[in-house]
Amino acid sequence: MVKKEVMIEPMTRLEGHLGIHAVADLEKGVYVDAHSFVVMFRGFEIILKGREPADAIWITQRICGVCPTPHAIASVQAVDMAYQAPPPPMGVLLRNFLHGAEQLYDAALGCLVLEGPDYSEAAVKKWNPDWWEKARKAKAPNAKLHGYKTIADIMKALNPLSGELWLRSLTIEKLGRKMASLLGGKHPHVVSIVPGGVAKTLTPTDLEQYAAMLAHHVAFAKEFIPVMDDLLDFVLSLGYEECGSRKMNLLSYGAYDDPEAYTANYEDMPSWGLKRAVSPGVVIDGELITQDLIEINVGVREFIDRSYYEDWAGPSVAEDPAGNPLDAKHPWNKETKPKPGPYKAWDSKYSWAGSPRWEDWKRRVDGFAHALEAGPIARMWVTAKAGNVPESTGSSLKFTLPKAAVAGYKVIDEMEFEWKIPERVNTVERVRARAYYYAYTAYVMYNQLLQALEMVKAGRAEVWRKYRKPRDGLGVGMTEAMRGALAHWVVMKGQRIQNYQVITPSGWNAGPRLSDADLGPYEDAIVGTPITEPTEGELSGIDVVRTIRSFDPCLACCVHLYQGDRCIREIPIC
Amino acid sequence: MEPEKIHVIWLSGQACTGCTVSFLNATHPSLVDILTGFIPQAAGITLDYHQTIMLPWGEEALKAVEAAEKGELNPFVLVVEGAVPDEDKAGEGYWCAIGEENGRPITFSERLKRLADEAIAVVAAGTCSSFGGIPHGKPNPTGARGVIDFLGRDWRSKAGVPIINVPGCPVHGEHLAEVLAHAVLAVRGYLPLPELDEWHRPKYIFRQTVHDNCPRAGLYSDGKTSHAFGEPYCMGLLGCKGPISHCDAPKRGFVEGVGGCTAIGGICIGCTEPEFPDEPYGPFLKKAPATFFIAEKIRGIIAGLDAVWHRFEEKLAGRKL
Repeated sequence: MVKKEVMIEPMTRLEGHLGIHAVADLEKGVYVDAHSFVVMFRGFEIILKGREPADAIWITQRICGVCPTPHAIASVQAVDMAYQAPPPPMGVLLRNFLHGAEQLYDAALGCLVLEGPDYSEAAVKKWNPDWWEKARKAKAPNAKLHGYKTIADIMKALNPLSGELWLRSLTIEKLGRKMASLLGGKHPHVVSIVPGGVAKTLTPTDLEQYAAMLAHHVAFAKEFIPVMDDLLDFVLSLGYEECGSRKMNLLSYGAYDDPEAYTANYEDMPSWGLKRAVSPGVVIDGELITQDLIEINVGVREFIDRSYYEDWAGPSVAEDPAGNPLDAKHPWNKETKPKPGPYKAWDSKYSWAGSPRWEDWKRRVDGFAHALEAGPIARMWVTAKAGNVPESTGSSLKFTLPKAAVAGYKVIDEMEFEWKIPERVNTVERVRARAYYYAYTAYVMYNQLLQALEMVKAGRAEVWRKYRKPRDGLGVGMTEAMRGALAHWVVMKGQRIQNYQVITPSGWNAGPRLSDADLGPYEDAIVGTPITEPTEGELSGIDVVRTIRSFDPCLACCVHLYQGDRCIREIPIC
Repeated sequence: MEPEKIHVIWLSGQACTGCTVSFLNATHPSLVDILTGFIPQAAGITLDYHQTIMLPWGEEALKAVEAAEKGELNPFVLVVEGAVPDEDKAGEGYWCAIGEENGRPITFSERLKRLADEAIAVVAAGTCSSFGGIPHGKPNPTGARGVIDFLGRDWRSKAGVPIINVPGCPVHGEHLAEVLAHAVLAVRGYLPLPELDEWHRPKYIFRQTVHDNCPRAGLYSDGKTSHAFGEPYCMGLLGCKGPISHCDAPKRGFVEGVGGCTAIGGICIGCTEPEFPDEPYGPFLKKAPATFFIAEKIRGIIAGLDAVWHRFEEKLAGRKL
């Protein structure tokens, strides 16, 4: 077997630095092994110890400047729970508007600035020259909606710094952050999320201002989704199904709470979870096995076998507030004890990320701990399957975006969207799900805005409720960042943080293997990915890069390529 | 004639990349404006290395960093995002690495040192690179600090320029865009370098406090204070640290004039300050020290007495009011 090592580092994510080490089998034309490693540590969980729990709402946003608001949402839900401080309904809606505004910016960023350039004219001409010839001849089926006649025209529009879609997306992304600033003071790192509600003086025109900006997103979605469909269908037609393909093991915590259902009380969590506009659920081998947020919470484990941390002593929290026994590896029991170690020690500890797993503790399938994949494809999948919301058909998510007459966009009339559960989870479908999540978020925000206006009319505009902080408490906040399931856990003793744990979606996806039979999702997705670029000469690793990008590991990525010990190439991907 | 090029290398350490995202909020000028250079005096800026928004694609990108490290990219401004960890505390491992050479990880601090030696100016974007920010919060597990503490307070670039700090968590996109645009005009002799305060912050941005710049400050003077979130008055009793923090976000807004932490009803958490996120800024919901509020009241009384005395003085002198 002719093997080639591909070293991609730094594959820098926004909130950190990521590297990928992949091994290609040139005879078979596929990648046969991969290691994902995180090479930066800041120590948030240690810095949080001893502080007031509410401080975590501001501090944890700084974990990631690309997706700060979901950190604030997860944190405030954990703190609401520990403080027993349920917000009034308008407070819940304003939090949703902050969350949604960020998702609108972040989905466009992911598809058009981070992942899009991998399919741009510049990338395709360089790495897949045979694709370019086909793209020039391929008519874009949705040309009527978006104006690009051929697939090559779309690829040109994705060129960094000059392509029309790339440039327009910067404007539309800024508009998302502007909506977050309207209600949150600023973005990145909104200031207005507080225990018991929001710190926002709701003015008579805030909701209208938000709506006027949302209209741009609604109008943009009607071009953006058809563009992505055309591009991705073309890429699939070239035989890209196997790229990044992985078993359907998915995790969604759900998002966008129902303002009348959210109580911040642990025992009620399964019922408010089911009322979310985006549904929670665990999928194992293509089967939705549970939607119960308590069951999902209790099953979470974080292992550090292959990570630069030391083990910790047994469980300090024996059971959850509902009386379910908690494992020693559950985040309420986990302690963060860093211990820097050697570089690239593939047989022992090699990453700063932990390895989260979800244990099927109710033995619905096999009772094992599974490496679940987080991301828009997980939440779209669960929401489409579960039937909790009227838009869910059991095999698709079907919704209509309203009419929006905004200058500069091609489609004014209302438009129906249908995201169908794909046959497999792969590089292309992850990107497609992210685009559709943009449209679905715009749809949810529009409907919740109408709800908010009715609430104002009914005199229910209270945004915050006073609370009395208890001495001790437990809290968990489970929500969705753009790149997937995000949860925070807090143990409060004497009104201070005794333990604070965060498991990010990139933690779920980028975590190292526990054994060679139990890879992390990035590693798993790379193994089996076919090599589409020419293999004589140097290998660029473009198929690995596209696969990792499809998980949306935040902004900047540089690709280092190694043949033995020699660095051949670094490819920064915008 | 083509203006002389000014190169920019943007290096990221213990960062969340919020400062990069925030830089994209800048509008007049925006990043694209800065790079395209409408007027010749401000043209010729090239962003030679930025993981997210760089023009070069492929091998060229790394060449820019290597060239800059060797002093072959002249002149260049180094923009730093993120705190600098103390690698001496990392034992056999490392806290933050960027790439490798000969199979050995190159730490962020090593790259920073190499580049700083050759840069014409070093700009710290955001509170982490200015003062250590969140990573240096107690107990500072990685020994994180700002560039001024890593290179030294008295450090000067080879052109004799001190480190310029533009703090904020994240940096205000417009603050950074303005400082970079200003630096270009200064390098070309159109403007003097910005005057810095003791913390190396440009005075023209950071002279006044958040309270000075807050649209609610007048309500405080008027004796109107919010007692619950959502109320439209001064947020001092609910934890606002505006009186002891330096920033103009409440007046300026955050994205194209929209937002502003205290203006919308939030509290200032002191994110531009060297001590952030520790005391006196955290706990964030804890009231700011009372001394400021009392002092302001006393100053208000003095100002009132002065106004009365001035009128009385005019009367005594027989002039018309």
